[in-house]
Amino acid sequence: MLLAKIALGLASTVAFAAIYTFREGVIRVDVDEYRSGGSHVHLWVPAAVVPVAVRFAPKDHLQTAAENIKPWIPTIRQLAKELEKYPEANLVEVVNGTDHVQIRTHAGKLQIDVREPGQSVHVAVPISTLEDISVQLTENIPGA
Amino acid sequence: MFNRTQHFAGVSVLSAIVVLAVASAAFGQSGSTKDRWLHVRVINSDNKGETVRVNIPLELAENVLPTINKNHLHNGKVTIDQAHMNDVDVRALINAIRTAKDGEYVTVQGTDQDVRVAKEGGRLLVRVKDNKSSKSNRSEVDIKIPMHVIDALFSAGKDELDVVAGLHALASLGDTELVSVKSDDSTVRVWMDSKNSSD
Repeated sequence: MLLAKIALGLASTVAFAAIYTFREGVIRVDVDEYRSGGSHVHLWVPAAVVPVAVRFAPKDHLQTAAENIKPWIPTIRQLAKELEKYPEANLVEVVNGTDHVQIRTHAGKLQIDVREPGQSVHVAVPISTLEDISVQLTENIPGA
Repeated sequence: MFNRTQHFAGVSVLSAIVVLAVASAAFGQSGSTKDRWLHVRVINSDNKGETVRVNIPLELAENVLPTINKNHLHNGKVTIDQAHMNDVDVRALINAIRTAKDGEYVTVQGTDQDVRVAKEGGRLLVRVKDNKSSKSNRSEVDIKIPMHVIDALFSAGKDELDVVAGLHALASLGDTELVSVKSDDSTVRVWMDSKNSSD
């Protein structure tokens, strides 16, 4: 009986964690170099983890990052806020021969796709995460 | 008595329908002015066939631009470098055009180019047509800017263009084409509508 209760507790915790993770979305980074020895990076990170990870990141590293990005933080924050109103939009698309760059919002994520002969880069970040990160970086600006 | 009640009920239902219709029309109009998109499309017909498509919600641009402070852009305003104005008082020029009646202001018919600057229906129209003999250089440029957008652009202080005010003025317009450039090797189109894609 006790084991069943523990199992139920664990299962419901995992279920809630899974629901929370999926609600927040996933940050996806794919980098592929189509040549011998080329690198292939495929990264899937639950967006819910990022604000927590930022909180535990070394303070001096965060401050440096915040200082570097400081002039653009209000822009990122406002952009994230505005992009949330447009969950499905093709914002920029450049096609030049076999090269293709696309910036769009899809399913509440900001997607940046770059394809050119020999390599491709795909980045997808939930728009809400952009705002969360900008808020945390703002908190780390010395004197802010 | 029954007839009066029936009449009153009929009038009430009719009034309710009219009020709902007016409200929904007003709501629909405010929604349509809010969801305005600025589109830019550049198509190069060279061998690589470069295509650029930009679709920006006006509201997004209006709200994000004031946060950018870089080079000549500050708080949604662009500082105009007087050194590049060739001593032309643009503000006085705009003022003169605003107060002038509709008509053709400049018409140049040259061997190389035809130029027409006119004001029509509250819009400033600029048309430049290339007449060069070489077919590959021929181009047609059409610019149609509503006067109230120009007014908004120049509503900031001296030597400044208020881009955000210009965008805000644009948002009140219906579907409209602003710039069109056609040449043998490329086409450029800048227009505004309520669609979130350019095709």
